[in-house]
Amino acid sequence: MISEGLQFVMLAGVLLAYALGILSGPFSKRAAYSLGVVGSFIGVVLSLSVLLGGEAATFSLWQLTPASSAEVAISQFNSYFLLISSLVWLGTCLYSVRYDDDYPGGLSSLLLLTILSMVVILVSGDAVTFLIGWESMTIASFFMILEGRGSREGVRNAAFLFLAFGEASTVFIMLAFAGLFSSVGSFDFLGPSPIGAVGSIGSWVFVAALVGFGLKMGVAPFHMSEWLPIAHSSAPSNASALLSATLTLMGVFGLLDVVSYLAVYQLWWGWLALIIGGVSALLGALFASVSEHSKGLPAYSTIENNGLIILAVGAYMLASYYGLTLLADFAVIAALYHAFSHSTAKASLFLINGWMSKLKSSFDLNNPGKVSPMRSRAAVFAGAFTVLSLAAAPPLAGWVSEWMILEVLFQSFRYGDLTSQIVGTLVGAVTALAAGIIIVAMTKVYGFGVLWSVDRKSQAGAKDEDRGGRFIEGSLLYFAALVIGVGVGAPAIFFLASTASVQILHESVYSLFVTGLLGIPAGFVILSGSPFGGFSPTFTAVFMLALLAVPLAISRLGGPWRLRRAQGWFAGMAQPTSSADLYDSFGFSTPIRIMLRFLFRTKENVVKVGMVTRTVILSPEEYVVELEVLDVFKRFYDLLAKWTLALSSWVSRKAMPGKLSLYIVYIMVAFVFVLLYILYTVG
Amino acid sequence: MIPKFVEMRRVDEASGPIQLSTIFRVGGDTLALLTDTQNNRTLLSEVPQRLGEEIGLLLKGEEASPGAPIDLDTGSKVEGFGVFTFGYGPVTSGVPEAGGFKLVTYGERVVKVIPQVNFKKRGVERAVVGSKPDDALLLVERSAGNFSASYSTCFVTAVEDALGLEAPSQARWTRAAAVELERIYNHLYVFGRLSEAASQNVATAQTNALRESVLRLNAKHFGHRYLFGLNRVGGVRPDLSKDGRKALLESIRSITREFAELVDYFLTSRIFLDRLQGTAKLAKNDALSLGAVGPCARGSGVEWDDRLTYPIEPYQDIFVNIETDRGEDTMARTMVRLREIQTSAVVLSELLDKMPSDGAAARQSSESGKDRGKFSFCRTESPSGDLIHVVQLDDQGRVSRLHVRPASLVNWLPFARSLEGNVFTDFQFAFESYGLSFADSDR
Amino acid sequence: MPKVWILRGVKKGILTSGFPKAKPTAEEIPQTSAPPTATDRSDWAEGERLCPTGAIKDGRATERAVDLGRCVYCRRCTGAGFEFAGPEVRGTAALQASVKSGLEARRRGFRRSLHILMIDVGSCNACNLEVLNLSNPYYDLTRLGIFFTNSPKHADALVVVGALNAAMVDALKRTYESMPGPKFVISVGACAISGGVFQKTEGFVSPVGDAVPVDVVIPGCPPTPIQVLEGLLLAMGRLEKRPAAREVASQP
Repeated sequence: MISEGLQFVMLAGVLLAYALGILSGPFSKRAAYSLGVVGSFIGVVLSLSVLLGGEAATFSLWQLTPASSAEVAISQFNSYFLLISSLVWLGTCLYSVRYDDDYPGGLSSLLLLTILSMVVILVSGDAVTFLIGWESMTIASFFMILEGRGSREGVRNAAFLFLAFGEASTVFIMLAFAGLFSSVGSFDFLGPSPIGAVGSIGSWVFVAALVGFGLKMGVAPFHMSEWLPIAHSSAPSNASALLSATLTLMGVFGLLDVVSYLAVYQLWWGWLALIIGGVSALLGALFASVSEHSKGLPAYSTIENNGLIILAVGAYMLASYYGLTLLADFAVIAALYHAFSHSTAKASLFLINGWMSKLKSSFDLNNPGKVSPMRSRAAVFAGAFTVLSLAAAPPLAGWVSEWMILEVLFQSFRYGDLTSQIVGTLVGAVTALAAGIIIVAMTKVYGFGVLWSVDRKSQAGAKDEDRGGRFIEGSLLYFAALVIGVGVGAPAIFFLASTASVQILHESVYSLFVTGLLGIPAGFVILSGSPFGGFSPTFTAVFMLALLAVPLAISRLGGPWRLRRAQGWFAGMAQPTSSADLYDSFGFSTPIRIMLRFLFRTKENVVKVGMVTRTVILSPEEYVVELEVLDVFKRFYDLLAKWTLALSSWVSRKAMPGKLSLYIVYIMVAFVFVLLYILYTVG
Repeated sequence: MIPKFVEMRRVDEASGPIQLSTIFRVGGDTLALLTDTQNNRTLLSEVPQRLGEEIGLLLKGEEASPGAPIDLDTGSKVEGFGVFTFGYGPVTSGVPEAGGFKLVTYGERVVKVIPQVNFKKRGVERAVVGSKPDDALLLVERSAGNFSASYSTCFVTAVEDALGLEAPSQARWTRAAAVELERIYNHLYVFGRLSEAASQNVATAQTNALRESVLRLNAKHFGHRYLFGLNRVGGVRPDLSKDGRKALLESIRSITREFAELVDYFLTSRIFLDRLQGTAKLAKNDALSLGAVGPCARGSGVEWDDRLTYPIEPYQDIFVNIETDRGEDTMARTMVRLREIQTSAVVLSELLDKMPSDGAAARQSSESGKDRGKFSFCRTESPSGDLIHVVQLDDQGRVSRLHVRPASLVNWLPFARSLEGNVFTDFQFAFESYGLSFADSDR
Repeated sequence: MPKVWILRGVKKGILTSGFPKAKPTAEEIPQTSAPPTATDRSDWAEGERLCPTGAIKDGRATERAVDLGRCVYCRRCTGAGFEFAGPEVRGTAALQASVKSGLEARRRGFRRSLHILMIDVGSCNACNLEVLNLSNPYYDLTRLGIFFTNSPKHADALVVVGALNAAMVDALKRTYESMPGPKFVISVGACAISGGVFQKTEGFVSPVGDAVPVDVVIPGCPPTPIQVLEGLLLAMGRLEKRPAAREVASQP
């Protein structure tokens, strides 16, 4: 039990720490990030204490309208998200203390400003504060991306695109909030207090919220907002981690919040969310598996994971529509759990990739670099767990949440209508396919990005064991522990998620799903429906360890092991000395590029000129240096951008040319219109 | 000494329908053996002034010393993002012999193929120098075990030519029968490997069973499963009796008939056909300019078969139908081999029915005063194509020079050319359909 | 035609050899695979002169031997009074190495299941084909628990064919290195055991036994599949056969 006052004091502490960090950024990056670590730590303590025993509370700031005021609210729902975010920020700031030494000091301020804005979003109790936080987050990230390395043109385009998508998302969120305002009559509907029914405007609110938050989350068809800025701006990896892991988490938070206020769901909302989620999952996985960029690949994986979360939300809505409360409850928990597992694992992956890319000085997965084992050992160790979690391998976090989402989809047969059953089942098949394909991508990013680059013979790094390396290694190990903990300690996370979801489901569902079974003590088995399926991540971990430990012990009984190290087998030939003789990352994915050439629009051009054969495996907008695969949606957005620019130039030339006479005409037309309107409404 | 179906002619340019078959040195001269595919003539000439560029590789492979592998690389470079060389080295199960390939690729698609040969170069040509032809036969017939009959027949015919010795007709007909049996079992081997690559387990098992029965026939009638010890100078060792010949003929007829029925059934598998059709196309122009020989050339429409165009006895009296196909792909080469099995059965029935009975070996070597300094040569159609032996004997009748131009050696480049643009999974089919053998090409 | 495969199969009968339960038939080991045996009338000196590969060694009574590892079955020694007994007398010519190489201990797990990798180090292809013939229906080696693998890392036994060529020495050593223990090596054919007819050629380096430790040798040129199979089964410990001392080959 923790008093309201203490909660707000801690919140103030968080905000203060970040604010101080922002101010000290230009002077000392280390101080800034250290303050960031402090702030995140207080955030973790705060959110845990609220989840475990606190109460929802709000604090008014100032008056907005006679009926509503700007508020700060701490509830169990937003504490859950604050917990996830603070855990990620803690690790990221720890990593950053020594990471971006060669970037300007302003970057640390911008990073902490982004974090601060996200805290504001999470604790906002009303729409205006939320939007303030949202805008501030977008703009701070925009400047952060502008700091990136890379060609001037590429960086500017990436940043501008990010800003455009960000502002579009703000507009749509404003529309959604306007709809809510018109139903409720006040702005402070984001707090924990219940609000009235929303009425017929619900569909508009839902679609606007889905589009607005979907733009930020980077789901199809808006996924360019996700991969382009990250892949092409070459901003430092702590910034990328922040953008991909926590920025998208804000989208999840907002969407779940809005959905929870729409009391009655319509059928097609669920279908829409399911389809968008399924398509994003598949597209994200496919594009990730053919990406050659060490940051682009995880960005695509984020698209896939956010798609999974959205389809869980869609399943929740469908289940609620049909009155399947158990399934609906489970779907919400699955979405919340996946947010946790994805954020931690994705941040970890970006940081690992960032460290390896820095050591190799290249983002290209085909570049073998030559990193010494000493410097990369943390990346190798933590990378294994991170990648396995994202590939949904037991007993890690990603496995638990992926299982839960698939279980939700497996139960699509429970829906009342044939259409819903079909949609649910098809999306389930597509999701399972995506889950399989993402394994290719994860193998690629870990195998080629990390393991391939380790050069056993390299001696560098033996003397570089300064404290800088320690910070980075520490943060990577911290994330690995987190990924394992969230998986093995699934019942605990389940408890936190069910506490957080009380706001949505209006009851605690922990006891419905977490029991004991078949000899496993109560509190360790998670069921997905009764009867349907169940598993126990904790005991799976125990079992796996036993499965490993018992043969090891038995083999030791026969005496110490005789180990012999042999070389790799190259069909009898000697070990290749240059990377030109090794299967590279590009070749690894080319079978997929060729088999799915209808999707990637792959064209293989092999041109023989005299004694030189030139090969280019093209997609029409291939970037040879950074080599991203064509995203067919990009053509649509390029077209949209072209039309927008054309329209804006037409407007600036024809409609607003600066001629006073034309402006006077506009003023008179507007005047007439207003008069007519007043006459109409009054009369 | 030069048989009547060989023309001495000065040729200035070897390209197009005039293929350079081999170059050999004798005495102080360097001579070239050329093939006129249009008029079906063998030409003997000085080395032409203008040769195709790929000839350099042919010579490199021919004259290399044993001890280190050689890359048959035309020298062209491949540039592009993500391009690497995939080494399909000497110890793999896809290639059962010691030999490798370097596939230049960007993943899955083969851009260029560089065969690595010379792993098995034993140096037979140099090892036989100074030995009597009968002793040299031991090495020659073991240069390529599955082409043993063709090798030893070719060699011993050239030697007998140099000695002025006439082996009795029965011996020559027996040799031809052995060569045809060898052709049958080699073509069955190729088909078995193709169906194994396509996972057609029934086809593989049935084909291999039939091949095993042919090998047992070899052992029963000719004394060795692979026809080792078939030839000696002046004759052959196995003396086929009338009953033996009849039994052999019956067995071969039943084997080839059974195979023909089975093949019709095996080739109804869409999956199998899909793997064979359209794979590794070798255009007729490429086949001609690169000098391809054997079933792979005939599968691209080149009409050359030594049995018809260089007919040593008994092929002068027996008609052999040249099987060609215009398809140019793996399917075409496979169909050529399948039809050749049936043709060989027909030829065998003629050979075995009408074999003369004038003894298996010459009673005494009648050495008319031969001009020993000159050379003699012979070409036979081995199962993989045209095989050339050029032999020179010294005054004591020992071998002073041997030059072998195997069929597989000239087929490497056509294979490499035809594989470009195909995917990795097509490799096995292309390789097997050419019937390339490293033992044959390396000697 | 084969509308009903089962009937066709029934009509054709069982092709598979009964070996090792039954003795090998004359078709499976033709008479021509019988190696030379000395009789009282054999002229050892003449035999040594006639033999092209040095398989017949003259000497004092106890030292004379026919080295089956060198014999290529060319039958030239007929002229020196050597005879060729039928296969049923001696069974096969596969031989077993002495215990000092530790084969007994190493082969203990492989009685019923053996994974072999075949490597060609410079053969004429005949031994190659004979070993590969073991998978055809007449011999069907998988019924005995023997399987071909593609990679040395999965292999228990290395089957080497061919006269070791200078270009393949490294590859052979690397292959042997890559195999995890316990493992053993089987040389098949005269070329692998001693060089066969290629002993004096340029490309030949040494018998395979000089490059990797060989445990079992299977003489022949080429050995028939049944002889290869007998060698494999002897290596696995499923056949116990010790040939007479006179016919023991040179050190494998």
